[in-house]
Amino acid sequence: MAAFDTPVQHRSDKETLVCLRTLGQPDPASLQAYLNVGGYKQLQRLVQDKVKATDVITQVKLSGLRGRGGAGFPTGLKWSFMPRYYDGTKYLVCNTDEGEPGTFKDRDIIRYNPHQLIEGMAIAAYTLGARVGYNYIHGEIWQDYEIFERALDEARAAGFIGENLFGTTFSFDLFAVHGYGAYICGEETALIESIEGKKGQPRFKPPFPASYGVFGKPTNVNNTESYTSIPWILEHGGDAFQALGVPNSGGTKLFSVSGHVERPGNYEVRMGMPFTELLDIAGGVWKGRQLKAVIPGGPSTAVMPAAAIMGATMDYDGLSKAGSSLGAGSMIVMDETTCMVKTLKRLSYFFYEESCGQCTPCREGTGWLYRVVKRIVEGEGRMGDLDLLTDVSSNISGRTICALGDAAATPVLSFIKHFRPEFEYYIQHGKSMVTGKAE
Amino acid sequence: MLAKIKTVLSSLMLVELLKGMALTGRYFFARKITIQFPEERTPMSPRFRGLHALRRYPNGEERCIACKLCEAVCPAMAITIESEQREDNTRRTTRYDIDLTKCIFCGFCEESCPVDSIVETRIFDYHGEKRGDLLYTKPMLLAVGDKYETQIAADRSADAKYR
Amino acid sequence: MLNIEIDGKAVEVDHGTTIIDAADKLGIAIPRFCYHKKLSVAANCRMCLVQVEKFAKPLPACATPVADGMKIFTRSKAAVEAQKSVMEFLLINHPLDCPICDQGGECDLQDIAVAYGAPASRYAEEKRVVLNKNIGPLVSTDMTRCIQCTRCVRFLKEVGGMMELGMVGRGEHAEITAYVDKSVDSELSGNIIDLCPVGALTSKPFRYKARTWELTRRPSIAPHDGLGSQIEVHIKDGKVLRVLPREKESINECWLSDRDRFSYEGLNSPDRLTVPMIKHHGEWHETDWKTALEFAAGQLKDITNADGGEQLGVLVSPNSTMEEAYLAKQIAHGLGSSNIDYRLRQTDFRLDGKRMGTPWMGCNIPDLQEMDRILVIGSNLRNEHPLLANRIRKAVAQGAELSLVNPMDDDQLMAVKHKAICTPNDMVNVLAQILKAMSGLQRLSLCLPKSLNDLLETVRVWDNSQAMAESLAGLGKEVDLVSPRTGIFLGNIAQSHPRFTELYSLAEAIASLCGATFGILSPAANSTGAHLVGVLPGEHGLNAKAMLESPRKAYLLVNVEPELDCHHAAQARQAIAEAECVIALTAYKSEALEHADVLLPIAPFTETSGTYMSMEGRVQSFTAVTKPLGECRPGWKILRVLGNTLGLSGFDFDSSEQVKNAIFGGQKPSTVVWNSLNNNLRELIDIQVKIKSNVLQRLGEVPQFQSDAIVRRSPPLQKTRAVQAPVAAMHSQLLTELGLDDGEMVTVKQGVASVLLKAKRDDRLPHGVVRVPTALPVTSLLGDLMGEIEVTRA
Repeated sequence: MAAFDTPVQHRSDKETLVCLRTLGQPDPASLQAYLNVGGYKQLQRLVQDKVKATDVITQVKLSGLRGRGGAGFPTGLKWSFMPRYYDGTKYLVCNTDEGEPGTFKDRDIIRYNPHQLIEGMAIAAYTLGARVGYNYIHGEIWQDYEIFERALDEARAAGFIGENLFGTTFSFDLFAVHGYGAYICGEETALIESIEGKKGQPRFKPPFPASYGVFGKPTNVNNTESYTSIPWILEHGGDAFQALGVPNSGGTKLFSVSGHVERPGNYEVRMGMPFTELLDIAGGVWKGRQLKAVIPGGPSTAVMPAAAIMGATMDYDGLSKAGSSLGAGSMIVMDETTCMVKTLKRLSYFFYEESCGQCTPCREGTGWLYRVVKRIVEGEGRMGDLDLLTDVSSNISGRTICALGDAAATPVLSFIKHFRPEFEYYIQHGKSMVTGKAE
Repeated sequence: MLAKIKTVLSSLMLVELLKGMALTGRYFFARKITIQFPEERTPMSPRFRGLHALRRYPNGEERCIACKLCEAVCPAMAITIESEQREDNTRRTTRYDIDLTKCIFCGFCEESCPVDSIVETRIFDYHGEKRGDLLYTKPMLLAVGDKYETQIAADRSADAKYR
Repeated sequence: MLNIEIDGKAVEVDHGTTIIDAADKLGIAIPRFCYHKKLSVAANCRMCLVQVEKFAKPLPACATPVADGMKIFTRSKAAVEAQKSVMEFLLINHPLDCPICDQGGECDLQDIAVAYGAPASRYAEEKRVVLNKNIGPLVSTDMTRCIQCTRCVRFLKEVGGMMELGMVGRGEHAEITAYVDKSVDSELSGNIIDLCPVGALTSKPFRYKARTWELTRRPSIAPHDGLGSQIEVHIKDGKVLRVLPREKESINECWLSDRDRFSYEGLNSPDRLTVPMIKHHGEWHETDWKTALEFAAGQLKDITNADGGEQLGVLVSPNSTMEEAYLAKQIAHGLGSSNIDYRLRQTDFRLDGKRMGTPWMGCNIPDLQEMDRILVIGSNLRNEHPLLANRIRKAVAQGAELSLVNPMDDDQLMAVKHKAICTPNDMVNVLAQILKAMSGLQRLSLCLPKSLNDLLETVRVWDNSQAMAESLAGLGKEVDLVSPRTGIFLGNIAQSHPRFTELYSLAEAIASLCGATFGILSPAANSTGAHLVGVLPGEHGLNAKAMLESPRKAYLLVNVEPELDCHHAAQARQAIAEAECVIALTAYKSEALEHADVLLPIAPFTETSGTYMSMEGRVQSFTAVTKPLGECRPGWKILRVLGNTLGLSGFDFDSSEQVKNAIFGGQKPSTVVWNSLNNNLRELIDIQVKIKSNVLQRLGEVPQFQSDAIVRRSPPLQKTRAVQAPVAAMHSQLLTELGLDDGEMVTVKQGVASVLLKAKRDDRLPHGVVRVPTALPVTSLLGDLMGEIEVTRA
């Protein structure tokens, strides 16, 4: 198969390309394209000059890079948790299992700039002393899995991964692993179980992967975008990366903008960009309609009504001040024609289907939530249902093994909080306030 | 003196007899409350606790699932149940005996039954000629249920809203 | 030590203790479903959520290790709210069919729902339904009731050794299931019934028989293997309806093998003998006890008076109680016979009179799991001693090195470090090699007697044996020289081995060289006890084998079905058939006893009081848990009255305790036992190492569910996959050499006896061995269970 040849549809000069910096090259995913932008130089420098691991970690800490998978945990800090001296194999895992509706940033990194990810992982491996790495790719983006495998072949042939790199004793093997499309495998411990060949189910934490990860060995798990930012940070310095963003949210961020905008797509912009500006980059609300609500970071983050998001800036603190969170940067824009009740039904269905079934509140609760919302959408709602939904959601959140429980509860709680009249109307009239129809 | 004369007069004129006759006469024309049992019956509450019966579902399947709650709750230990898995894998009794000589008709069995199988009917005028006749077995109880199902069902529905 | 506080009560606990353990220690009840002290922590039910100071979210008590100064609240508002919400979630999809559920009344979910459940459900949507799975004849499933706690999954994986159940599907569709078309075949499978906190897994034989509150619970001792598991027998209307384990950490922990759990069904078998019977002119007549006993006594007296006591043979089953064994011995001696034995399946008796005491396991049962190096000789562990195998599995999981010397390579579901799979003859050779290698390693050859040293000169050590010796000696590892935590054990196959003496002597020598614990794993519940009582041939007496080889005129059988329980079925059959008088104390009518003259109905273990002594020397007395069926009488009473009727002295016992006192001479049993248990040999026995043999040898193992009369009559056990039509299994090479095909019908011949069996390819066997199980009606026509065998095309 030829390299992924769909042209990049929309780009804006307001973007700042860090993770997607090969864009503009003839075949952005190729090794040559990456070498053209100075690829693999940092890895070579670190390995050949035997740069101290602590120095690398210091740079990453300075950069203000926070985990791009959704939780936003400072990457430098996470790296410092890995045991320094360990008698055995340490592992590195990249989490490319993005399965949440509206999230599609990691696939574009693999499509357009896989080598930067490989270099980022190799640098992390060098820093953390990991011998083996896995990139766990979501099962439903098969094409990207193949692109990554090809990139690995290229990198291996060029001597950027494998045994005794650059003539030193440093060796790092990287493998691509693909899942089968389970959302839960994006949870780092479930992902680890899946790599081990078991059923993808989160483990109870502690112990955290840094002490008990893949095959029971110390493992560092980061998001694709986090790893991909690393070469740039080392090239330009942590301060430069931090300077791209705002305090407490360094660097750039890929936003997957979808929903009712003119030009949906991935946009890599500096952290702290005002929401309105990002909306402009994506072409504004579809067909010039009125903005109704935005889910700023993917369905597991709280929905925000138009009024609340208009003044917000797109960074960790900005969104959390506005009452939601940055999540994985999966911005779902909804215009005035959107029925929030039906939207919630779709989201609840997602979490109901994707719960792993291991622990009780999530296994039983997600089904309950979905069935009640479905009943409301079908016009069979009862007045007590909204309180019941709120109550059941709060009973799920904080009581499960992993964060999926909270993720399933958040949309229900935030939708009802911000759009209660719409729900009440639906229950009373048996049809949608917005569309005037039932299902 | 006067009192004596009064007594003599009243006894001579049969006053007391007439008073008695008047009472009799009054009742003679009053509405009768005696009934001709067994041709006639007094009205009864739907909650009357008489002879027991085992009920069936309309499709003929016996209701009892051998949960043995009635056996456990019975204060007189009048109920004896044995159970096993029937061929269709359902839980059924192989024996359901009520010793009516022990039973105190408290109605707990009926209260405890999760499937409304054991019930107490309005029947109270049953008898046995030998002691053993009052040991009601499963077929006998089912037969009572089959015979009076209409009445039993009506009584249950009449009382349903209070339960 | 850490100081913590739970609900205001301060307690000091070890590092690594979880909150739930600390609370249990304090007697504070935290509700739980998935947590079980013997299994790994899953933390998936979330029922044990508690509030911990300084933590925003409630934490699962089962998975949270305590930290110093932790303040835990199990009944605070936040904790109770969390517990109640989890309870609500658990109940929304639970069918609430308690009235028809066998778990009703002893259900964790029911109990905890009373404490934490709401009076009415807020859930008004449709409930989940899960199809039931057929996982075999022992465990019945109602999967809709399952709350996905995965205790069963973890049990089979961690204790059973094989993950026979698993959870498939995601979210609400998650369900517990076995492999496609497979049942749960673990020999410990019954324990998942006890583990299941709801009614999803219940006992199939017990299904719908009774409610828990109707049952009377009485303690007893399991009568099958030599472990002496403590059991609780549940009775309704005088009938045993089920058997559950009693928790005894030092014996059976909280488990029970399927054989001990489901054999009770054999007690209610229609085969039960309920009245004494006498054979007159070839026809059986029911009679009363007086007539039967007088007839029996008359016959015994006539023969012993006329032909001498040596014409009487007494065979006692090793599953009989010590009291029965003792009285049988008294009768034999009273009648002038010293032909008495309990070792019915043993073939090599050269050790008799040369032991220093009663052979036993050599250590206590829990010691097994602490061992670092274990050598098991001639034992199909899972088949013979299911729970002992579990102890060894635990040791192996903790890093112990297990070596096996066996004539078959059955999967023991644990990591075996070294194994020598060889013909029974070669087993001796392998042990000699290990001994030689060991003496080389330890430089202790001087300690070996000269005769052994000379013998070992001729042995060439194979690599495998060298490795085994090195493993046993702990070469290259830190070994505690005083108590090296090494064990060497002889199993049932070794004890039926025609060269048991050699195996025993060599194993003992190896053990003494490496300082290992040495013992034999007693095959039956009272093997050790019968030996202690002295149910052994006297000086000129005949042992079990000799008694059948040179038939006696009269036999007294206690709990024995000769052709199923003896090592040489054909011989046993013939000896019994030709004897003038056979008095059988038996709980069952059976074909095996067709040739007897008097059948005296003896009460099985549930209906008599008595004492068993386990392989670790633990003396455990039990009482009758129910009344004897029909005219059955406890064995000790029958033998006592028989003794009286025979006019023998010393039979004035009014209770089994008096018999027990007589056995132990009024001393404390433990004192007597402690003085008696000894595996050492008085003197060295001439052993030969190399006997070259080219004949085919039978490996006549006793299948797990054929071990004694009760088990053989338990329908559910007989329906398991472990019980299959007997086959003649052999290595594919042997099959080719004999010109046979897999699955073909073959004639299997031992001496004059022959049967038709299906040939089966089994590469787990060494060349030169044909595996034909014993103790089955079909193979009971054959001969010696480890003897020569011929196989030809039918």
